[in-house]
Amino acid sequence: MAEFAATVYQNEFLPDGGTDVNAIVTVTCSGAGTAGAAGAVGSGAVGEIIIVDTSGSMGHETMESAKEGAQAALAEILDGTRFAIIAGTETATLAFPPVQAGPALAVMDASTREQAAGAIAGFRAAGGTAIGSWLDLAGTVFASVPEVTQRHAILLTDGENGEQPAVLDAAITRATGYFQCDCRGAGTDWKVEELRRVATALLGSVDIIGSPDEMREQFRAMMQTAMARGVADAQLRVWSPQGAQVLFVRQVAPTVEDLTDRRVEVNALTGGYPTGAWGDESRDYHVAVRLPAKAVGQEQLAARVQVALGDDVAAQGLVKATWSNDSELTAKIDKQVAHYTGQTELASMIQEGLAAKAAGDDATATTKLGRAVQLAAETGNEEATTRLKKVVDVDDEKEGTVRLKKAVDKADEMALDTASTKTTRIKK
Amino acid sequence: MNVTSLTCPSCGTPAEGDSNFCEECGAALGASPPPDGAPRVLVTEAAADEPSPIDDLGSGPISRATSQTYAPAPPAAGIPACASCGGEVGPDGYCEQCGVKALSPRDHFREQPAPWVAGVCDKGIRHSRNEDAMALSASPDGSGAARRAVLVVLDGVSNTDDSQVGSLAGARAALGALVVPLPVGMGTPEGRLAAATRAMSAAVDAANAQVESAAPADAANPASATFCAAVLEGDTLTYANVGDSRIYWLPDGGEGVQLSVDDSAAQDQIEAGVPRLEAETSAQAHAITKWLGRDSQGHEPRVGQMSITEPGWVLVCSDGLWNYASEPAALAQQVAAAATTDPAALALALTDFANASGGQDNITVALARVSPAPAP
Repeated sequence: MAEFAATVYQNEFLPDGGTDVNAIVTVTCSGAGTAGAAGAVGSGAVGEIIIVDTSGSMGHETMESAKEGAQAALAEILDGTRFAIIAGTETATLAFPPVQAGPALAVMDASTREQAAGAIAGFRAAGGTAIGSWLDLAGTVFASVPEVTQRHAILLTDGENGEQPAVLDAAITRATGYFQCDCRGAGTDWKVEELRRVATALLGSVDIIGSPDEMREQFRAMMQTAMARGVADAQLRVWSPQGAQVLFVRQVAPTVEDLTDRRVEVNALTGGYPTGAWGDESRDYHVAVRLPAKAVGQEQLAARVQVALGDDVAAQGLVKATWSNDSELTAKIDKQVAHYTGQTELASMIQEGLAAKAAGDDATATTKLGRAVQLAAETGNEEATTRLKKVVDVDDEKEGTVRLKKAVDKADEMALDTASTKTTRIKK
Repeated sequence: MNVTSLTCPSCGTPAEGDSNFCEECGAALGASPPPDGAPRVLVTEAAADEPSPIDDLGSGPISRATSQTYAPAPPAAGIPACASCGGEVGPDGYCEQCGVKALSPRDHFREQPAPWVAGVCDKGIRHSRNEDAMALSASPDGSGAARRAVLVVLDGVSNTDDSQVGSLAGARAALGALVVPLPVGMGTPEGRLAAATRAMSAAVDAANAQVESAAPADAANPASATFCAAVLEGDTLTYANVGDSRIYWLPDGGEGVQLSVDDSAAQDQIEAGVPRLEAETSAQAHAITKWLGRDSQGHEPRVGQMSITEPGWVLVCSDGLWNYASEPAALAQQVAAAATTDPAALALALTDFANASGGQDNITVALARVSPAPAP
């Protein structure tokens, strides 16, 4: 049986007249078991769909490595799991199971595994790219088996979406809250922003597969992670007192995801935010609440941060506020809060810097990427530092003085972009 | 009140194992039984000598069990509503509505033994714990000649150990001693006062025994407390105090009067001619010259009686309230502003007034609403 724990890091002391309370809440899940295992939380059947781009742009080598990747993912799907394979071009085709009507998810066993492998082996690259239609078909396939309640897909593409942005957005909206989707882009002809939009909305990850030989490992890892998620769905809940305002709710580790606008009302004072399925893992959330100031010496609760499985609260962390006129107490910024505030700014500096660079605004790009270098150093994010150094030449890490590199490998730039939201934890 | 080793002398919770302190309220268990001269003995003597006019049995000693026709208010069950907004308090101890930290039952409690008698005991704003205490009892009917109310307030001294335990146990012990009708002596005013003084002294002794036993034997600053009690029987109000908690009589629309006389440095100064305001705001104003506790130099109460014929309020309070309205007229003004005849509402209003004025100390407000005397 999965157990959740919530730990709060904050400085609860506010100066006289202070209103804003910041806290990092670390939520840890243990004993999650495997997806679909008997007795697992939210015990419904698990459905997995592998969506592979089979458009003409794929080319022979990428197509072959994509097939290998899909086969590797297939091998990780546990027996008994419901699954399907979708081949995507300008339309979406259900490659496996070969059905025209009725339940469109097969039950994994030795026989279906072999048949599905055969279907993947038969992929031929031809046609366009319409990611929205792939998502819609995945939704329809999941819906054909109502007992499947934990729904997850892996999506691989190599090119820019051929649909109007509004068409893709509408498809994303339909899929949001229904299934989760991890997205991977092969090569450098796809748009990071586009795939990130899909992955963010569908509570998944996004990454670049720069060379075909990484394909197998990436697919295996994605499916392994999905299969280790024994908790089908958990909701983060934030209660704040009457008269208070929740400034923002962000996941800040392992990646930065702003959840503020995804609030659904649980009751007048409590908002629910989706977090998807959980394995044995730990995620950090940054919650900021604005309170009406109280008299020095008063103490109150600023937020209850809870993890809910269905209607059951599995863990709760208390965020407090105490007004004090002791500046020794009130001036301190909690280390965790400071660290993640820096990491969040780092993510936006990288994304904004790369966007400016793409738009030809080198001055803005230099400033923002310079600030990113500075923040990566300050917060000890070595991965970000390494990736940044492939895009800029660093003159002074401390001051954030950089120059844009003359020649940059497109893949390095995209890798910097996709990895921008990855955060490091503070060394405790 | 006889104390067995099996129940807490303070809150009545059964004690488990060999623990020395109550799991529920923290009071010391196995506290020494009340000393000689405790209420049981006194009542037996008085009743044997002189049948009480209130003794409707008319014969024999009044046993405690039969004379207690109404029980002290039981401790509030469950988690009380948020004192700030009235919202529900969550199991985590914070209001589900406004997030204010719920006061523990010791930090803020209310009692209302009858519709005409109520009190609030509150931590205030600046202190970290509530060392004030009160205990109340009242007959169900507050209008007849048989009406009876007991209001006890103890103010635990804040720089002593465990005075929050001692004050509450002491208040309840004093209530236990005063819950039986006061003796009337020979029936003359002097005899009546002398008999009442003996009863009040016994109540102070009972409270003192609890205050003394609250702190561990080796405590550097053993618990100490003030004592203040008012007993209304029919039209007769008997009052007693040790220290600087006070009793006021505030008739409706009339001149109020402070009945108790403080045992304090400020009172000494006032008696020496220093103006009240100056004396009560001086550095030593709150130094009390008499108190209950192990290091006390004696705790004989000042006792008085008066006859009440008008409608109005009997107010027993700690300095957490009167710090902000010492003169009877100033208190009467706050009472008039509250414009209510509900003692619970007025007790809250006066507590709110003290907190709004700064809440520098613990605040206890106990009130009996004296309604117009019924037509003869």
